[in-house]
Amino acid sequence: MSFEPKILGIACNWCTYTGADLAGTTRLQYPQNLRVVRVMCSSRINPSFIFRAFQLGADGVLIGGCHPGDCHYNTGNLYARRRLAVTKKILEFSGLEPGRFRVEWISASEGNKFSEVVTEFTAQIKSLGPQTKFKISQ
Amino acid sequence: MTISFKQIEEKLKTEAKRLLESGQVSVVLAYGKGYDEKHPMPYVARNPSDVANIVFNEYCNYNMARYLVRYPAGTKIAVAVKAADSRAVIQLIQEEKVKREDLVLLGIPVYGMKNPKTQEIIDGKTTGGLYNPVLYDILLGDEVHGQAIQLPYDVLAAYESMDKEVRFAFWKKEFDKCIRCYACRKACPMCYCDPCFIDQNKPKWGDKSPKFHGNLMYHLTRFHHLAGRCIDCGECSRACPVDIPLYLFHKKVARECEEMFGQAAGMSIEDKPALVNFRVDDSDKILE
Repeated sequence: MSFEPKILGIACNWCTYTGADLAGTTRLQYPQNLRVVRVMCSSRINPSFIFRAFQLGADGVLIGGCHPGDCHYNTGNLYARRRLAVTKKILEFSGLEPGRFRVEWISASEGNKFSEVVTEFTAQIKSLGPQTKFKISQ
Repeated sequence: MTISFKQIEEKLKTEAKRLLESGQVSVVLAYGKGYDEKHPMPYVARNPSDVANIVFNEYCNYNMARYLVRYPAGTKIAVAVKAADSRAVIQLIQEEKVKREDLVLLGIPVYGMKNPKTQEIIDGKTTGGLYNPVLYDILLGDEVHGQAIQLPYDVLAAYESMDKEVRFAFWKKEFDKCIRCYACRKACPMCYCDPCFIDQNKPKWGDKSPKFHGNLMYHLTRFHHLAGRCIDCGECSRACPVDIPLYLFHKKVARECEEMFGQAAGMSIEDKPALVNFRVDDSDKILE
């Protein structure tokens, strides 16, 4: 059986989640490996969510937020940008493959971009194989 | 030029006595006698008569800024600070945990401090590579100049060039040793959350037993919480009973923050901590 990755998507309510909705209503096809969690803003994302997701068996984590400057709360994603950049560096230095974590700015009108990013990211995770480093072994 | 530890001790005593007698401060945080010369202890002088117990020698590497947050707001405190410790004080002022006007900083310009466990000299490899306090009110002794500055980040090169598999194996080995005594948290001047995220039960962020995955969660999150705030005093790794080189990871994160956000932690009172601040023109490249 081929490897089907589990990917956690954390999407901001105002842009990426709406963008995902648009991708759905326009009947765009994208892989079903993504499990989307909606948060009100990308700055709501505690970096521990990401570490925890990897521990609980996620093979990749994709984070979606509004384009910088377009945040519903004006500045949320600007804080998130700095914070998630640090998260990425920490994951990298601890030895996890850097390709397993990705942040994308996807606006509400970019249904196309959403499906493209998910397709591309899923292919990337498939090529990386299952994530075993952080996963809690039973 | 060599550092006269005795001279610094005398000056520390005179200043502490003067400050306590004049009532300018109610508490002096300095170093006191331990069970032997190699193990001095953090010491709190509250009366002018306590001052006689203050000592200072090459093993006094504790970061006394750790104890500032334990006193109620408004307590007038004098604190003995070495170079890294003064950065911790600045960082605490930036985070509004202490007020500048409540503090009297007794700056100690010093090099050649030793780690009592290994007898190694603490230099740029394990601390920030500074010798003179960044901020002080009274300087005990002359500023140190002409000492070879050891670049604090040089030690990282070997770990950065490692293959990620090797690096993961290295950290797995190190974190597997962790016995979750939380000495790193107790020694750290920036770790003042109550309760710490790892002590919370709802939500339970990580396993509390000393197993790899719980240790990983604790340490990675702690590195993240100290991003842009770690002032590189190296106390976490010296406090560690199983010698996990935590300073390496902290240095790495500190360097990345410095490169990405253009400011080092605890260098100026006017700065804001890097992660509670932003610039509109921060580059998206930092996410790649």
